[in-house]
Amino acid sequence: MPRLSAVPGLPPLLACLALLAAWELAARAFGINGLPPPWTALRELPAIFADGDTLPNIFASLRRMVIGFALAATFAIPLGLMMGRSALVARFFNPLLMVIYPVPKAALMPIIMLWLGVGDVSKTLVIFLGVSLPIIYHSYQGARAVDDKMLWSAAAMGLRAPARLVRVVFPAALPEIMVGCRTGLVLALITMVTSEMIARQTGVGNILFNALDMAQYEAVYAMIVVIGVLGFGLDWGFEAVRRALMAWAEPSHQIAVGSA
Amino acid sequence: MLDRAQRSVETGLRMIDIVGVSKVYETAQRGRHLALDDISLAIGEGQFVSILGPSGCGKSTLLYMVGGFIAATTGTVCVNGKPVAGPGPDRGPVFQEFALFPWKTVLGNVMYGPRQQGLSAAEAQARARELIALVNLTGYEDFYPKELSGGMKQRVALARTLAYRPSILLMDEPFGSLDAHTRTRLQKELLDIWERDRRTVMFVTHSVDEAVFLSDRVVVMTRSPGRIKSNVDIELPRPRNRAQLLLDRRYQEHVLDIERLMDEPAEGRV
Repeated sequence: MPRLSAVPGLPPLLACLALLAAWELAARAFGINGLPPPWTALRELPAIFADGDTLPNIFASLRRMVIGFALAATFAIPLGLMMGRSALVARFFNPLLMVIYPVPKAALMPIIMLWLGVGDVSKTLVIFLGVSLPIIYHSYQGARAVDDKMLWSAAAMGLRAPARLVRVVFPAALPEIMVGCRTGLVLALITMVTSEMIARQTGVGNILFNALDMAQYEAVYAMIVVIGVLGFGLDWGFEAVRRALMAWAEPSHQIAVGSA
Repeated sequence: MLDRAQRSVETGLRMIDIVGVSKVYETAQRGRHLALDDISLAIGEGQFVSILGPSGCGKSTLLYMVGGFIAATTGTVCVNGKPVAGPGPDRGPVFQEFALFPWKTVLGNVMYGPRQQGLSAAEAQARARELIALVNLTGYEDFYPKELSGGMKQRVALARTLAYRPSILLMDEPFGSLDAHTRTRLQKELLDIWERDRRTVMFVTHSVDEAVFLSDRVVVMTRSPGRIKSNVDIELPRPRNRAQLLLDRRYQEHVLDIERLMDEPAEGRV
């Protein structure tokens, strides 16, 4: 018998089938409305996508997510790098971050809505907050781990401190920064859905929680599957890009799926 | 012996002049630690000088001060007559850890310095290719550091430093992490390259053989605190050939003398 691992797509496919089987068994065992069997739920998908509002909703969600993520990366990477290379900057920002860290970012949503309303700005800000922390943390760790000798080599070539931060610390820390970005991407998806649960207007979360309110459980589970597939696709795409960009990095920076 | 060392310096321009340098490290756990105690040392232009001592004697610290990477607690370090205020392209370091830019290919690493000095991409590339050939790495231009062995990485590091044409090479146990065979080969290659223009070299090592084989002068240090114990002029003909040297009585005597010096208990405080 050929080994299972010899077929690349087989183990994840088996895992999916196992999940569906467990779902089916549970649905039959409990027999409650709140847990429809997988086939009935997935059968809802064509109807959901036939609705003209669904795709615009998904795109609205993704747009907020991409903007929030991009803003977070633009802000968090330089901050993390500076914290990693300057004890003064680290001492200033560390207490602030320690206070913000354990607060669920979606819990800030009602307050932010008071300031900025229920629209895109509030939701994007919550995503920004959720994504920033892991990127700051990994940028900080990456910058700290940069070998002094590498910086000295650059200094001898005439690079001054700001140039060294951009042209040596940043690329040297990039493999670690990418680990933070991958964690951030998943968090962006989570905060995106939660923010849409709290402030419903548009988005995948909006469809999901509206269906829940109307006890359309098949649609609820179908949407959960849609979000899951979205997350998987984003992570897979990010990994493909990361792997291509980080081909030069030592294997210690390779990350196992799920380590984020 | 100090007199002889001074005389050899005075025959040429003083390239590196270290006067009364000490280094004190303050740590919360151990308090004040005197790493280097009143070091004075002059290295003439074109001299190949090794700093030899047990680990922890502060020999690398001394080299980092000449590089301008760390500051002395007291005393002055002058290079080419000017006090060292920071790193500069006149002093090129080569570290035991290679410290290559892992995101750059071999060619990219070697081009980095010339590009920084304002050479065009084409000029920098031409110079880099020349140096890659000099360190026998032609064909590896597009390799990333992670794909190279330790000896190859150190060749790249040497080429990268030579590429911006420093007048002084600062070598910090450059062959310390390599296997014996690679080490011997690289010593020979380094000497061959050095013979071409005989730039000033400050070479830190803990290997007596390596120091004697390579150097015009060996500075022997003691540890805790780091002090200069002795200056030994190595009067062996150049270009040097390892096989011949191993049979040469003068080489053997130098090695034995220096090993004896290093085994002696540290002198009492003056």
